[in-house]
Amino acid sequence: MSDNDTDDVRTDGSGTGIVSPDDETPAWSERKERTQGLSRLTYEYFERARREDQDLRQQSDYVERDVLAFPAWPHEMMRNIALTSFFVGMILFVSATLPPEMPNPANSGVTPAIILPDWYLYWSFGLLKLGPLNPELSILGGSKLMADRTYGVLANVVVVGFVAIVPFLNKGSARRPVEQPFWAAVGMSGVIFSLTIAALSIKNLVPMDSHLLFDLTFLVPIVSATITYAVLKTMREGYMFDLNRRYYRLRPPK
Amino acid sequence: MPLDEDKYPAETGRRRFVKGVVGSAALSSVGVGGAAAVDATTDAAGEGGGTTPFVAVENTAGPAPRGMPIIPIEINGGEISGLWPDYDENAGAALASDFGGSGIDYSSQWFQYCGIQSTEAVYPQSERNNTFLNDTGTFSWQGEYDSGEPITVDMFEDYQDWGNGIGDSGVGKPASAVWRTNSEGKNGAPVQIIRSVEVEKMANGEGEYANLPGNVQSFVSEATDQGFIAWLNKCTHFCCVPGFKTQEGSANFGGANAIYCQCHQSVYDPFSPVQSTFVALPRPPKTE
Repeated sequence: MSDNDTDDVRTDGSGTGIVSPDDETPAWSERKERTQGLSRLTYEYFERARREDQDLRQQSDYVERDVLAFPAWPHEMMRNIALTSFFVGMILFVSATLPPEMPNPANSGVTPAIILPDWYLYWSFGLLKLGPLNPELSILGGSKLMADRTYGVLANVVVVGFVAIVPFLNKGSARRPVEQPFWAAVGMSGVIFSLTIAALSIKNLVPMDSHLLFDLTFLVPIVSATITYAVLKTMREGYMFDLNRRYYRLRPPK
Repeated sequence: MPLDEDKYPAETGRRRFVKGVVGSAALSSVGVGGAAAVDATTDAAGEGGGTTPFVAVENTAGPAPRGMPIIPIEINGGEISGLWPDYDENAGAALASDFGGSGIDYSSQWFQYCGIQSTEAVYPQSERNNTFLNDTGTFSWQGEYDSGEPITVDMFEDYQDWGNGIGDSGVGKPASAVWRTNSEGKNGAPVQIIRSVEVEKMANGEGEYANLPGNVQSFVSEATDQGFIAWLNKCTHFCCVPGFKTQEGSANFGGANAIYCQCHQSVYDPFSPVQSTFVALPRPPKTE
């Protein structure tokens, strides 16, 4: 960082974005310089290292550019061999110490009373049971546009697709749920829905009427979203009140 | 000057040409290789199969696409066995045309689904034991008899009031069996049998069963005997083995007095025969 950068206030997201409110308030670097003891020593050490690095860069005629990668041989290859050997060794070790049980071949003439996927797949399994939401279209003479199983797979595609595009959405600058109660409520309804749809997938084990359970699967997320929204809104009011009170205490209005 | 100009070789005509040749070669080899792999793994070898009309115990609820096929039975000296017709060259299956004058063709293709088609049990020419053999473990009353013992009529003497705490008593007495086993009594197809007053009414077309379609009614009266009805016990949805009065939870899904599949809660009514159609899967060709 060159010297003139410290005075520059950047609006493009780079830099710390921390701006002193006035000339009397110390800047972050000034605070660092004022500290004592170990933190002071650490600061000086890092500052000196940074300074030396900067000097070296400026003196050399090396064209500064991004490092694309390390060479495949030997750097990457040695690392990969080391990692591979470790994990192969772990597999051999675990298989030698805990030899797998070899049960009887499956009997296709019997199905166990409880037959479910692993628990972390319940939500997906539940999405396959959305047959009652598959509309019977009058334009098709009361028949369904697609089979219930196709519908369930499409429901999975929709949910997984939505989760997959979340990283590509601009999520704004909010860091806490109170800052955006609406989207926090939407997220909360998603979390609750993942639980209720999991409960729906094991509807034959849940001691509840299965039609009621089906309705609750979709109602409980909406209710929880409403509660979340109300609570966060209230919390935000409280924070605002606190902030305002402190602000006015520090600087009473004229 | 772009910052990354020195990172990559400059684009030249020769380079573009080489890239084009290499790229198209790679693409076409992937295409040819993929086609060859698909061809090798999905070789449509097989016999029989295709659109097959059949008579089923009706699927009344749940995700199953259709009912499970009824097996016509015959009773010889008290032993109950499933009927297996003779092989018909033209049909490519064991076929009883116009079964019992009902106008319905009973065929071994009825059972060609859910992997059963690749077992020896439903291979039309194979010599198998057509008697229903006792399959213990599902119903406690069957534990009193040896596994693999032929199921006989006298095991069902209490059928008019039998119950096991699931649903109502007196609807019918079920049994699990294996059908068309080999000489060692193994590798049969799963079957369930019910003896019920309802089946007797069904065979005679009495009461509510007077409204059954004529061909279905005459098929059922041919395919059942002394109140016994049998069906291939493979759920048409995802090939689980359901059961009549086998699961406690069946009452929540209206299946306490019906056939209930515990996997996805499909329900079949054993006292509602329906004619329906499905696409039978081809049998793998016999190698020897």
